[in-house]
Amino acid sequence: MDRKLVEVKGLKKYYPVTAGLLSRHIADVKAVDGVSFHIAEGETLGLVGESGCGKSTLGRTMLRLEEPTSGSICYRGEDITGWDRKELKALRKEMQMIFQDPQSSLDPRMTIGDSIGEALLVHGMKNERERLELVAQLLKQVGLEPEHADRYPHEFSGGQKQRIGIARALAVNPKLIVADEPVSALDVSVQAQILNLMMDLQHSLGLAFLFIAHDLAVIGHVSNRIAVMYLGQIVEMADKAELLCHPLHPYTEALLSAVPVPDPHLERKRIVLQGEVPSPLKPPPGCRFHTRCPRGSKGCSEAEPELAELKPGHFVACHEPG
Amino acid sequence: MDNTILKVKDLKVHFFTRHGVVKAVDGDSFDMRRGESLCLVGESGCGKTTVALSVLRLLDSPPGKIMGGEILYGGDDLLKCPDDRLRQIRGNKIAMIFQDPQSSLNPVFTVGDQIAEQLKLHLKLGHREAMEKSLRLMEQVGIPRAAERINDYPHQFSGGMRQRVMIAAALSCNPEILIADEPTTALDTTVKAQIMDIFRDLKREKNMSILFITHDMGTVAGFADRIVVMYGGRIVETGSALDIFDHPTHPYTRGLLNCLPSVSAIRDRLTPIPGAIPSLINPPKGCVFDPRCECRLPLCATVRPEEVVASGDHTVACHQCAPSVVGEGHKPS
Amino acid sequence: MLTKIGNKVGGLRNLLFLCALMLLALVLVLDIYAVDRILEPLGYFYIVFALLAIFYGIYPLYLSRRLTRYYWDRTKRHRLAVFGLVFIFFLVAVAIAGPFLTQDPTKVRFQEKNVPPVGFSITQSVYDVKTDTFSTVHIPGTWRHALGTDDKGRDMLAMLVSGARVSLQVGLLATLIAILIGTVLGVLSAYLGGWVDNALMRFTDVMMTFPFFLLLVFIIFIFGPSLTFVILAIGLTGWTGTARLVRSEALSLRTREFVMASRSLGASDSRIVFRHLIPNVLSSVIVITTLSIPGVILAESALSFIGLGDPTVTSWGVVLNAGQRTLDTAWWVAVEPGVMLFLTVLAFNFLGDGIRDAFDPRSQV
Repeated sequence: MDRKLVEVKGLKKYYPVTAGLLSRHIADVKAVDGVSFHIAEGETLGLVGESGCGKSTLGRTMLRLEEPTSGSICYRGEDITGWDRKELKALRKEMQMIFQDPQSSLDPRMTIGDSIGEALLVHGMKNERERLELVAQLLKQVGLEPEHADRYPHEFSGGQKQRIGIARALAVNPKLIVADEPVSALDVSVQAQILNLMMDLQHSLGLAFLFIAHDLAVIGHVSNRIAVMYLGQIVEMADKAELLCHPLHPYTEALLSAVPVPDPHLERKRIVLQGEVPSPLKPPPGCRFHTRCPRGSKGCSEAEPELAELKPGHFVACHEPG
Repeated sequence: MDNTILKVKDLKVHFFTRHGVVKAVDGDSFDMRRGESLCLVGESGCGKTTVALSVLRLLDSPPGKIMGGEILYGGDDLLKCPDDRLRQIRGNKIAMIFQDPQSSLNPVFTVGDQIAEQLKLHLKLGHREAMEKSLRLMEQVGIPRAAERINDYPHQFSGGMRQRVMIAAALSCNPEILIADEPTTALDTTVKAQIMDIFRDLKREKNMSILFITHDMGTVAGFADRIVVMYGGRIVETGSALDIFDHPTHPYTRGLLNCLPSVSAIRDRLTPIPGAIPSLINPPKGCVFDPRCECRLPLCATVRPEEVVASGDHTVACHQCAPSVVGEGHKPS
Repeated sequence: MLTKIGNKVGGLRNLLFLCALMLLALVLVLDIYAVDRILEPLGYFYIVFALLAIFYGIYPLYLSRRLTRYYWDRTKRHRLAVFGLVFIFFLVAVAIAGPFLTQDPTKVRFQEKNVPPVGFSITQSVYDVKTDTFSTVHIPGTWRHALGTDDKGRDMLAMLVSGARVSLQVGLLATLIAILIGTVLGVLSAYLGGWVDNALMRFTDVMMTFPFFLLLVFIIFIFGPSLTFVILAIGLTGWTGTARLVRSEALSLRTREFVMASRSLGASDSRIVFRHLIPNVLSSVIVITTLSIPGVILAESALSFIGLGDPTVTSWGVVLNAGQRTLDTAWWVAVEPGVMLFLTVLAFNFLGDGIRDAFDPRSQV
């Protein structure tokens, strides 16, 4: 059951910062800095973190849409880190992506039928009739009408555009979908429709998701397992129930306590963190969270904590977990 | 005793676009009481921001135009009073905070200057006094090392700090009413919690009246005294926070609360509201929520529901709750 | 087979277009070395222009009829843009058919000089050779010269019609050359990035500061004044703004999510450039085209006015120049081409504004 579909080890993605006429390399933005995790077949791994923590970069690097600086990505046991163009094209049929902004993720000059069909065309389905049939089927699958195929993106609402984005990702019949903030641009009443659709599709097609979001309520709802990211690193990763009920990392605790809950009677222990996320250009030495940590001891600013398995399946990177 | 501080009566605001007239706010009335936090909740395009901007007549016109109604504040009708009177009220008696702290600060002035500007304008303070007061305001909203940072420019501040600067500027003249339009939406979760703490303190310590506009029911829950729920340019339900959360009566309010994903729930299907938000150029004829409503009556498609009192302070604009219908035993549970 | 080669260059359409261009090049080679004068030099420009319009203008518009209808509806709402378009169509019709219907614009008849337009009349003192006296005569406008004549008795209507043809020729062809160069360099610069981008943009900067008039005077000095060289000179120097705009547009498009989505589907670079980048840049290219045509028309008139134009063609600038000498006796000679220029420039500007509004995503609801 728990077969690893993707396994990422020590993945790093640095963006060089250059200055001057000769583009002298002066520093690195460490967007993703040594991240390891795996996603099993058919499961949803929720990746949560605040803006700038590198969660989107991680998603794109995992799909090889960005070149990793170092580390390895394995798909079904094969190392895809060094794959060339041609091999990558085959990989695209296995891993797909859903984007945040339904407005900008569809080409405004293409009918949605063409947008969805593009994947099929690129992967060699030249027969137009077959393609149209498949597009119609995909549209039905995501809850739209087949007649919508020759309309343009501006004729749809945000929720419908996101459905189209999902249909496009499904066109090549992938096994894994990276969903980068798929509902954060949508209204709450529409958000639930899209979340339901994604969970239904996962159920019927056996898809695995890497679900990236900043909203812990959304992540907490859809995920099987959750990974929490802070400044380019995973600080805690565990099964959903375990992570939500027994968080071990102080950052996870703070995030949980800051989630707004629509219940006026709820009295909870609130941990309000001081300060803000430091720049990934110059992350603090030692534990990256120590500048804001309510627990922090002296050692935290010196040694960087390892992501260690404290309980079976529960990984934490903290010197003083608990 | 009447402790109403701001009264909005039958406000109508239309936007004249090339595609037609958008009835952004269509006959809305509500009261705001002294010292309370009133939350205006609704999804994008429901008219909540338009209401807020109308209070200070800050709407861009054209395309926006206030078609009717009154906004009463201390003996003045803000919609009709002369411009110079309104300028005395703006920033001084009623202050406003916007969603995007990035674009609401002027990048070429230091933050100290921008806070002090209001003080010089309304309280006629000298430069020195104004800067001293600005410093105290910055400390009050929790900007660390305020004395060092007062001469910094907005780009040197992070998003959360900029929003604190905006709050400090809004508080500078000690306004009676603070209007906050989605002040935490652009911020990260942990920073959002910090900013919400400032608002809580303001209410508790200064007894300030706050009109808080948001789309997030979760943010509202721990903060609001009373809640106004808007949908499609109309107010659908008004009541105390407990009324709204414990006894949501309008089908839209119930839908809005039910469709939220929650951290503690087991992984199952959510109950979304079907359909999409209607265009306000051609809104549904009767009740705006009718096309998406799950307990509609034949009447709903043609007749616009009136506000009816559900209990005490709690009013709902829904035919299900109208006395004639309730009498027949249709009252939604 | 054909489709396979087509795919190499981004589709069958591009292949056909390239084939047509090659055919034209063959004709050109024949023209130079074997047969004499198959086509006028300007004729080649026209054919390239027509090919481009058919392959990349009319055919895609026809393919996406619904999108075309949508943008047309949006342009139509701009009342002035429709007026502009109607006037431009009228001008094109006049330029094509007019010269066959009017008199010869270069024919001089001194006995009919300074005849006012229909509905006007002037009194002129005329020198009589026989009596050696000046006599005052009353000259009314006649239908033979509906718009009057100039001081050499040339028919104004014929000259204006001829001028319309020249202005449109220069306006369309020079703009086309400039836009083509600008678009290609802009897209290349944005897509290739790195040192190519740097080199191309620095070259653009140099071109921007290059004194256009000096170049023109130079060309005329070497080759003699000719309409073809005026067109080439304007076209080869006027592409810099387009290149910059297209580059910045393409750069921002490259980071849009639909390009990322296309890459994540496994699409090739050429597919992304031809199917996503160029069609999306095209809308602003169309807008710059319509907005830069009037500038080019004015530039040609200015050149003719100061005597750097082709002396064998009657352009509005030439007539304007003739008119300013006789402004006190025959005002219409200067006013009529002036009005035509004014209306033409205005029409293109209105149309450009209308199209820009139609394409503007901010007004999309």
